Amino acid sequence: MLPPTRRAVLVGGFAAGATLIVGCSSSSEQPEAIEVEPTAPPQPDPNLLDELALIGAYLGAVEAFPELRGTLATIADQHRAHARELGATETELAAITPIPPSAANVRPAVTELIKRERSAADMRAESAAGAENGESVRALTFIAASEASHVPELRDVRRALKDDS
Amino acid sequence: MTYTDPAVVSTIQNAIRAEQNYVYACGIAGAELKGGGRRRAVAQIAERQQRIQALAALISEADVPTTPPAFSPPIAIDSARSARASLAQLNNALVGVYADMAASTEGVDRAFAVAGAQSSARTAVQWGAPSQAFPTGD
Repeated sequence: MLPPTRRAVLVGGFAAGATLIVGCSSSSEQPEAIEVEPTAPPQPDPNLLDELALIGAYLGAVEAFPELRGTLATIADQHRAHARELGATETELAAITPIPPSAANVRPAVTELIKRERSAADMRAESAAGAENGESVRALTFIAASEASHVPELRDVRRALKDDS
Repeated sequence: MTYTDPAVVSTIQNAIRAEQNYVYACGIAGAELKGGGRRRAVAQIAERQQRIQALAALISEADVPTTPPAFSPPIAIDSARSARASLAQLNNALVGVYADMAASTEGVDRAFAVAGAQSSARTAVQWGAPSQAFPTGD
C-alpha cells in the first residue's frame, strides 16, 4: 500500500467553443467565420486553494503564538505535502502569507484550526467522492484521512494549554 | 450493490481482512491495556465488526474471507505501550486499504471507504501515533 507518489489531482484548463471572425485574402471577399476552441485560463483547484489557506492559517497561528510552533509546524508541513500533491509549486508555497487568527487567545486560536481541519477533511472527502479517476480518488482519500487525524492531534494541543490561555 | 469485478472484490476483501486482523489485535491489546485504553479497544471490536459486516454486504457470500484463527501484528503486543503502538500502526495501514477500495468503487460505497480511511487515521492518532501527510502503516 503506497501513498500517492505524484501530483495526481490537477485541474487543467477547459476548452470553450468560440466563433472567431478571420480576415480573408482578397478585399472583395467577406470575412469568414470559423469555429475555434481556445483554451480558457486554468480554473484554480478549490482543494489546492484551501490547502494554501490552511498553511497560511498555521503560519499566522505560529506567528501569534510561538509556543505552538512544535506541533503546528509539523502539521503545516503535512499541508505543504498535500498542496504539492495537488499541484502547488515551490514558488506558490514560498509566497504564502500568514493569516492571523481572529482569536486573541491561544486556546480559541487552536479551536479555529480544529474547525478549519474538520472543514478541510469534509471538503477533501466530498471531492474524493466525486473525483473522476482512481488516482485522484486515492490521493484525495489519503489527504482527507490525514486532515481528519489533525483534529484529535490539535485537541491534544488544546487540552495541554491552560484553561485561561 | 454486489460487486463481482475481481479487481473491486479484491480491494473489499483486503479491507475485510485488515479489519478482521484489527479486531484480533484489539483482543490481544485489551489484555495489556487498562482503564480508558482497554475500554476503547473493547468498544472498537464492536465498531469494527460492524464495518466488517457492512463490507461483507458489498460482495457475494462466497467471496467473503473467513475470519483467520490468529494474527501476528507487525508490532508484537506484549505491553500497554506496544499495544497502543500496534493498534496505531494497524489503523494507519488501513488508510491505504480503504484508499484502494475508494478508488475502485463509486457512490455511497466510495464514501464509506473514504470515511473508513478518515476514521482509521483519526484512531491511529488517538492511539498515540503522530499524524502523517499520507498515513501508512510503515
